[in-house]
Amino acid sequence: MATEKPSWWKTDFGPPKYDLFLPEVVKKNYGKWAYHEVIRPGVIKRVAESGDTVYTIRFGTPRLISIYTIRELCDIADKYCDGHLRWTSRHNVELITTDESKIDDIIKEVQETTGFPCGGTWDAPHAKYGLSNIIHTQGWVHCHTPAIDASGIVKAIMDELYEYFTEMKLPALCRISLACCANMCGAVHASDISIVGIHRTPPLVDDDAVRRMCELPTTAASCPNAAIKVKAKEKTLEVDGEKCMFCGNCYTMCPGMPLFDPENDGAAVLVAGKVSGARHDPELSKVVVPWIPNEPPRWPTLVSTIKKIFLAWANNAKKHERMIEFIERIGWERFFELADLEFSWHLIDDFRVPPFAYASYRVGTNFRW
Amino acid sequence: MSETPLLDQVPDGPWPSFVREIRKTAEGMEKAKAEGKDVKMPGCAKGLLKQLEISYKDKKTHWKHGGIVSVVGYGGGVIGRYSDLGEEIPEVHHFHTIRVNQPAGWFYTTKALRQLCDAWEKWGSGLTNMHGSTGDFVYLGTKSEHLQPLFEEMMQMDPPFDIGGSGSDLRTPSACMGPALCEFACYDTLDLCYDLTMEYQNELHRPMWPYKFKFKLSGCPNDCVAAKARSDFAIIGTWKDDIQIDQEAVKEYAKWMDIENEVVKLCPTGAITWDGNELKIDNKNCVRCMHCINKMPKALKPGKERGATVCIGAKAPCVEGAIIGWVAIPFIPADKLKERVKEIVEPLWEWWDDEGKFRERVGEFLWRKGMGEFLRVIGQDADVRMIKHPRTNPFMYFEKSELRPSKVVEEHTKRGMKFKTLEREEEEE
Amino acid sequence: MAEITYTEEEKQKVLDKLGQKTWKIKDLAKILKINKKVVQKIVMDLIEEGKAAYWSSGSTTYYSTPEYIEEYERRRAEG
Repeated sequence: MATEKPSWWKTDFGPPKYDLFLPEVVKKNYGKWAYHEVIRPGVIKRVAESGDTVYTIRFGTPRLISIYTIRELCDIADKYCDGHLRWTSRHNVELITTDESKIDDIIKEVQETTGFPCGGTWDAPHAKYGLSNIIHTQGWVHCHTPAIDASGIVKAIMDELYEYFTEMKLPALCRISLACCANMCGAVHASDISIVGIHRTPPLVDDDAVRRMCELPTTAASCPNAAIKVKAKEKTLEVDGEKCMFCGNCYTMCPGMPLFDPENDGAAVLVAGKVSGARHDPELSKVVVPWIPNEPPRWPTLVSTIKKIFLAWANNAKKHERMIEFIERIGWERFFELADLEFSWHLIDDFRVPPFAYASYRVGTNFRW
Repeated sequence: MSETPLLDQVPDGPWPSFVREIRKTAEGMEKAKAEGKDVKMPGCAKGLLKQLEISYKDKKTHWKHGGIVSVVGYGGGVIGRYSDLGEEIPEVHHFHTIRVNQPAGWFYTTKALRQLCDAWEKWGSGLTNMHGSTGDFVYLGTKSEHLQPLFEEMMQMDPPFDIGGSGSDLRTPSACMGPALCEFACYDTLDLCYDLTMEYQNELHRPMWPYKFKFKLSGCPNDCVAAKARSDFAIIGTWKDDIQIDQEAVKEYAKWMDIENEVVKLCPTGAITWDGNELKIDNKNCVRCMHCINKMPKALKPGKERGATVCIGAKAPCVEGAIIGWVAIPFIPADKLKERVKEIVEPLWEWWDDEGKFRERVGEFLWRKGMGEFLRVIGQDADVRMIKHPRTNPFMYFEKSELRPSKVVEEHTKRGMKFKTLEREEEEE
Repeated sequence: MAEITYTEEEKQKVLDKLGQKTWKIKDLAKILKINKKVVQKIVMDLIEEGKAAYWSSGSTTYYSTPEYIEEYERRRAEG
């Protein structure tokens, strides 16, 4: 660039180094923690080898957060936590204090100010598990290829399962996640229960819009299945419906290729995935409900289906038994019965046979040495 | 009558409502404007509510993708959005997001967060995601012309915040809280995450690969950041020696815990015995799954010979199906991680960049190329811990050096016969 | 690794092509019959000089000229 850059100009400087943001007690005991215990739902006591103790207090958030809410949380962190706070990988916020006597005030103030509930923890020693927050994507708030909304569905489900977040009364961990389309910005393919938005009809080509806005060869080339042909004479595109997998790549490249059908877009429900190695290897989730329509603003059919699945597991699983372990014990036929789900031909995989070789690769880290 | 009858039903119920957050933002931004603050997009959050109400009515999105990146020198970190209701709702006609590279482990000071909020009150919608799926702090919704001045403000913050990844680049690496707060951490996830992020700033900001590439770091096999499921290169802490046992602490647990049923019987390899007095672990048969350690954190700890496993290739289902990362390197000692990860990942990138197809993730690329080739490229010996069981078919290609010298081999070489065994030998020369 | 070099003529060829549409490096290399690594280097240098620019699908990245992208984005935004 020809213009002179100001003295503060820089690029590639990276994120602030993490240690700038660690509370003093964390810096002091970094890598020297002895154990933790969950002293009540949402509150984890962490004890260092030095004897120092911190309490992390976890609150569920809706992920989409106002700067005004962040400022409120900052005010509380300034008042009680020496100006420090952290977020978790599942959209929770945690306030950290060394003073046990402040816990009640912190919980009260966060709940009164922001409405964020305290919870989302699990106590393995006592086999009492809380439901964690639902990780999710943007949906209609910001995504251009969603088949379902994200935040609205999460809100409706968490309203229904609220008590499982704020209390710890589940037999094992249950991770619920939602992705608003099959591209899955969120990792929902290895969760105990996952909700995935699916389109069921190919893009409906809008010839005028294609001509106005799009590069034809680039759009055709963006299709992972080579299902799009350029019609050079008509200066537009054509979709081979037999090959289309409804991924929306072409709509990303070209706004003249919308793949939305409000009556036919909807959600598939998958179960029995996990990523931790505890007791059982990591597993991909499996489809158990092929399609449920969009029913904004509260998605009653989807919510009741999720609740049926959730309770079939929660009421029948043994201690520490996650969805996959539970289903492997009772069998898929019994699971469909208990969860009151219909088994249909859609649920038998006919997409592609996964590579022979991969089936023999080990996943996870469960080794003997 | 309300302008948003459908959205009005969202806040019902006890779980915090995103609609409430958007409304709070709309009110706050208008108030800030009225107080004379420099607020460029005071009506943006309100516009979003209008558009969202229409989406709730129509049961579909009203966003179009935009390809704008528009920050001088960078090729990623901004996701362009335009509304298809731009004429009706000009406040959200442009609604781009900016990915801000989060501090490792998502620790913040209030001072830093307030600076991020102040800049966003001025240049954007006032809405954020804490955090996006990749891990970034997300600024949600602004106009094209605000991108550059906002980034310039980020450069001048104390400490400054940089932009994260998007497109065909290295995505913002993310890590669990690791040794900052967790006793299970088998290596320093925050330090390695920061080190990789800084080392590969160019790869993060200037996309040039066939597709995206993600690093995620978990300190133990519990994998709280789901690295095994969603990163091309997952670094999962583990250990090789014996689980450390504090027998006195076990006895404390035994006072109220059913060790036989909840620990011994749930050990996946039956490696634990408990006689009411002493807990014994057959460490030769332990697979380090974490169940017993999760159950008795005061009594059991990972061993002292710590490090990490690299699992490769995880991704979502498009195009060839979802993949959970499979074992590429069974163990790297903790103190060798920084060096070894770079030794592995750089030749992998180079190979994938040369031979990967457009939009082919590393997992799919390796399925196509085979593990044998991969191990040669990264200079890693085969290990039985990479597989569940050995192959079930005999279709193997041997090294030329493994073939006995013969007239047939000589003749094939002379004729220039192409089959894998001979080609491989040629490539290496 | 050896330094990647190129001629002014090659650079101009790349620039001329870039102005026509959004490109993937691989396709540019193929159509211009120039080595991919060389094209990559030229495009990165052009970006540095402000003569080339990125266009991103969010998941994948393309390259063109700033003028082309500005006009392309204007059309996409207006619909």
